[in-house]
Amino acid sequence: MILEVNKLRKEVSSGDSELTILDDVSFSLEEGQSLAITGPSGSGKSTLLGLLAGLDTATSGEIYLDEVGLHKLDEEDRAILRKEKVGFVFQSFELLPSLTALENVMLPSELKSEDNPKENAEYFLNRVGLSEREHHYPNQLSGGEQQRVAIARAFACSAKILFADEPTGNLDPKNGQVISDLLFEVNSETDNALVIVTHDLELANRCDKRIDLKLGRIVE
Amino acid sequence: MLLSLSLKLFTREVRSGYLTSMLASLILAITIVSGISLFTDRLEQALNTETEEFLGGKLKFESNQNSIKAVIEDLELEETSHMEMVLFASVIFSDDEMQLSSVKAVDNYYPLIGELELKNSAGLFKVSSNPEPGTVWMDERLQNLLLLDYGDEIFLGDAKLIFTATIIYEPDRASGNFAFAPKTIMNMLDVESTNVIQPGSRVEYNYLFNGPDEEIVKIKEKLEKEKENGDDIETLSEDTSSLGRTVDRSENFFLLGGLIAVLLSACTIGIASQRFTRRHVGYVAILKTLGMTTFQIKALYFLLFLYTTLLTLAVGLSLGWLLQSNFINLMSSYFPTELPVPSIYPLFVTCLTALICQFGFIYPHILKLLSVSPMRVLKDDIAFNQETIPVFFIGAIAFLFLLYLYTNQLTLSLIIFLGVVGFSLAGIGLIYLLLGKSETGLGASSSLKLALSELRRRKLGNSFQIFAFTIAIGLSLITFSASKNLLGSWQGSIPDDSPNNFAINITDEDKNGMESFFKENQINPTPFFPVTNATIEREEEDQELIDRNFNITWIDQLPEQNEISDGAWFSDDVINGLSISESIAERYNLKIGDKVFLKVNEEIIGTYIQSVRRVNWDSFSPNFFVIGHPSLFKNVTSNYITSFYIPTERQQVAAELMREFRTVSVFSIEELIDQVKEIIGQVTKALNSILLLTCLSAIFLAFSALQDGFSVRKHQSAILRTLGASNSLIKSSALIEFALLGVISGTLGSLLAYGGIYFIETKVFETTANFYPEIWIMGPLIGLFVVSVLCFYLINGIIKQSPKELLMR
Repeated sequence: MILEVNKLRKEVSSGDSELTILDDVSFSLEEGQSLAITGPSGSGKSTLLGLLAGLDTATSGEIYLDEVGLHKLDEEDRAILRKEKVGFVFQSFELLPSLTALENVMLPSELKSEDNPKENAEYFLNRVGLSEREHHYPNQLSGGEQQRVAIARAFACSAKILFADEPTGNLDPKNGQVISDLLFEVNSETDNALVIVTHDLELANRCDKRIDLKLGRIVE
Repeated sequence: MLLSLSLKLFTREVRSGYLTSMLASLILAITIVSGISLFTDRLEQALNTETEEFLGGKLKFESNQNSIKAVIEDLELEETSHMEMVLFASVIFSDDEMQLSSVKAVDNYYPLIGELELKNSAGLFKVSSNPEPGTVWMDERLQNLLLLDYGDEIFLGDAKLIFTATIIYEPDRASGNFAFAPKTIMNMLDVESTNVIQPGSRVEYNYLFNGPDEEIVKIKEKLEKEKENGDDIETLSEDTSSLGRTVDRSENFFLLGGLIAVLLSACTIGIASQRFTRRHVGYVAILKTLGMTTFQIKALYFLLFLYTTLLTLAVGLSLGWLLQSNFINLMSSYFPTELPVPSIYPLFVTCLTALICQFGFIYPHILKLLSVSPMRVLKDDIAFNQETIPVFFIGAIAFLFLLYLYTNQLTLSLIIFLGVVGFSLAGIGLIYLLLGKSETGLGASSSLKLALSELRRRKLGNSFQIFAFTIAIGLSLITFSASKNLLGSWQGSIPDDSPNNFAINITDEDKNGMESFFKENQINPTPFFPVTNATIEREEEDQELIDRNFNITWIDQLPEQNEISDGAWFSDDVINGLSISESIAERYNLKIGDKVFLKVNEEIIGTYIQSVRRVNWDSFSPNFFVIGHPSLFKNVTSNYITSFYIPTERQQVAAELMREFRTVSVFSIEELIDQVKEIIGQVTKALNSILLLTCLSAIFLAFSALQDGFSVRKHQSAILRTLGASNSLIKSSALIEFALLGVISGTLGSLLAYGGIYFIETKVFETTANFYPEIWIMGPLIGLFVVSVLCFYLINGIIKQSPKELLMR
C-alpha cells in the first residue's frame, strides 16, 4: 500500500468560527495505481492533495505514505519524506524563473545530493521532448512546454508517488491532451503511483480509481 | 467616485502594511529634517542675538585715530542707532592700592543692545545706560585688587571718580585690544578731565551701529570707502569666538546628519515605491479594463500621492517639533532668554524635501503604472514596462536637488553626486567581478553551495542590494565618524590642563620675575610671546590694500597647535620673513615670496612671506595671525603675552601674581572654558540623537532592500520545500548568502565612509583629515550582524508559512 488515508479532517479558522474543509475522508491506493480526485470548486480537492503530499497538516485523521505515518511527522521530517518519495506537477507549473529548464529538472537530484543530477535531468528532458530547449528559461517557454519541464522534474526525483494538481488546467485542449498522455506514458515506465486533482473528466477516467469530493466529503 | 475610491485604496494600503516602509521612511526623513532645521534656525537666531550683544551692535568700527568721526556725523544717523566708545589702558589708584585697568568710556547711547547687570550694596540690578558723570563701574576682580567698597573714591589720571557698582555682565564683551584686562566703565564726559589721552597715547575709538540690515549695509559701504589703513570693520558674520565656532561646526554636523538621513530615506522610498508599483500592475489593468481613462487613473494615483504627502508631513512635522524641543531643552541653559520663534524657512525646507522625495522617488514609479496594458487581465505574462533608466535618471536628479538644498553649493553638490555615482558604478562592477560566473544548477545539495550559487545567479539583484546596504553602512559610518571627529577635536582642543588664564602687558623686567614666580608655584606657562602692534603693506602698491593692524610676535620655534601648510618654518638658513595664518593669506591674497613692509612704531622693515600656517583657533593658547623672524625685531621694544593653567582650587595664586606684578593684566577664561565644555556636553547629546536617527534610517533602508529581495525568495523557498528541501537548508543557505552580502557591503561601506570622511573633514569641517582604522573593522562587522539579523527575521517569517500556503498565493 503506497497511500492509506483514515478519517481525515481539516478545519481552518474563519473569523471567530471554524470552517470544515474536509471531513471523514478515507481511502487507499496501491503501488503503481493511479487515482483521480474530482469535485466542484471549493470541494477541498487541493486541500486534500496538500495533506496527502505532506505540504499541510490535518486537524485529525491518519495518512500513511509508503507505510510512514505522515500525521506523526514534523515539517522537517515531512520535507525529507517529500524529497525521497514524492513528486509534484502543479497547475501553474511552479518552475523557478531564474533557472533554466535543465536546472529546474536538476533540482530534486541536487536536493538528494545525487552524483549525476545533470545526466538524469537531461534524460528526463529528452524524455518529455525538450532536449533542444534545456537552456531556455521558463519565460522563454510556452505553457505546454513549461508543464513538460514540470513533469520531467517530477519524474527526475525517482519518487514513489506523484501528485498532480490540475496539470492540464492552464493549457488548451490540444496541449492538455499532450500533457496527460505524457504523464501516463512516463508513469507507466515507472512503478509510481499517481494522484491527480482534476476537473477534466476525460483525464479522471484514465485513472485506475476515482474519488469525488463534495463539500469536503467523499461522495459514493 | 475618484475621491472615495482613492481614500478607500489609501486606507487599505496603510492598513495592509505594504506602505509601512515607505511611510516610515518619509516620516523619519521629515522628522529629522524639520527637527534639525527648526533647531538650527532657532539656534542661529539666538546666536545672532548673542553675537550682536557680544559685538555690542550689528556693526563695529575700530580705529586708532578718530578721523572717521566727521564721516559718521555726515551720515546723519538717528542718535539712538549708533554710539561711540573710547578704550584705553590706565593705572587706577585707590586709597591703598593701584592696578592697571582696561578703561571703556561710553557715551549716553550705551549700551546699543542688551543690558548690563550690576551689583551694589543693595544687590543685583540691570541697567541700560552709561554710568553717571563722575562715577565708574568696575569688574569684581579690579574691585578686589583695589580693595574698594561702593562709594569709595578712585583716581584715574587727574580725575577723581566714585566707584558705584560692580560689573557682573556687560553686553559688548568683544571690545577690541583692551577687552580682557580688569575693566572699568566710565562716562565719556569724564574722559577729558582725566588728561590720560595725550597725543601718541594708545587709544582705540569704537563706533557701534544698530538698525535694519539694509541700513547697516549702507553704513558699512560708506565706512569701507572712508576707512584708513589700520581701521577695522566687524560685522555679525565674522564671529570667530570659540563658542561661535563650536556652534557653527555642530550646525554643520546637524545639516550633514540631516542630509544623510534624507538620502537614506530617499533610497528606501525608491525601493518601497518599486514594490508598490509591482503590486499595483494588476489593479491598473483591471481599472483600465473597467473603462477608467488614463487621466482618471493618473488622478487616482495623484490623490494617493497627495494623501501620502499630507499624512507624512503632518506626522513628520509633529515629531520634528518634539525633536527640536528636546534639543532646545538641552541647550536652553546656555541661552539667557527664551529662544526666538522659528522662521518660515524650516517649514519651507521640510516641505521641499518631502516634495523632492515624492517627485523624485515615488512619482516616476507611479507614472510607469500608467503604461500597463489592460490585456494583463487576460494574460498576466504580458511584459510590464520595467524600464528603469528613466526612473534612475529622475531619482538621480532628485538626489542632486537634495544635495544642493542642503549644501547650497553647486560645486560641492556635484562633487558628492559624481562621487556617489562613480563609487556605485565601480562598486557594482567589482561585485560582478567578485561573484564570478554561475555554474549549471542551483547547488541545492548543501547550504554553502546553494548560498554561493544564489549569490552568483542574482548578480544584478544582489548588486542593488549590496548598493543599498553599502549606502546604509557607509553613510552611518560617516555620521558616526563625523560625530566622533567633532567631539574628539573639541575635547582635544580643551584638555583638562588647557590654559585658563592669560597674562598680557608683561614688560622685560616682569618677564624674569614671572618666570621665577611660575617655577616657585609649579605652574607651566606657554612661552612668553613678545607682542607689538604693526601694519603690513605690500611692496607693489597697485595690489589690494591690507587694511588692518596686527598683533605680531617673533619667535624661532613653531608654536604648538600650529602647522605649516605652505612654505617652510624658520631655520638656520631662513633667518628672515613672516609666517602668516591661512585666513590672512586667503583674505589678502598673500603668497609665499610676496614682498611686504612692516610698519612698527614708525620703523619700516622690508621682508617677505616665508610660510603659511594652519592655526587651531579653538586652542586656549595665544595665537597669532602674523609671526616674524626674531632677526627683524631686534630694535623693537615690546610687551609679552603668555597663558597658563591654574587649577580651580589654587585660584588664589592668580591673585598673588596680580599683586606681585601690578602692571601685568591677568584675566581668567575659566568661565568661557566651562561654558564651551558645557555646550559641547549638551551638543553631544543632540549629536547622538541625530546619529541614532540616521542609523534608524539606515536600518529601514537595509530592511526594505532585504524585504524586496525576499519577496522573490518566498516563491523559490516554497518550491524547494515542496521538492523536499529542509527548513534548515533554506535558512542556513539564506543566512550564509546574506552574511556574505553583509560583509561585502560592509567592506564597500567602509571604503565609501573613508572617502566621504576625508572629504567632509577637509572640505566641510575644514579640519585635518584623520585616519580611522576602526572603520575597516566596524563596516564588515555591522554588515554581517545587521544584515544577518534582518535576514534571520525575514527567513523565519517565510519558513513559518506552509509551502502550500505560499504557492496558493
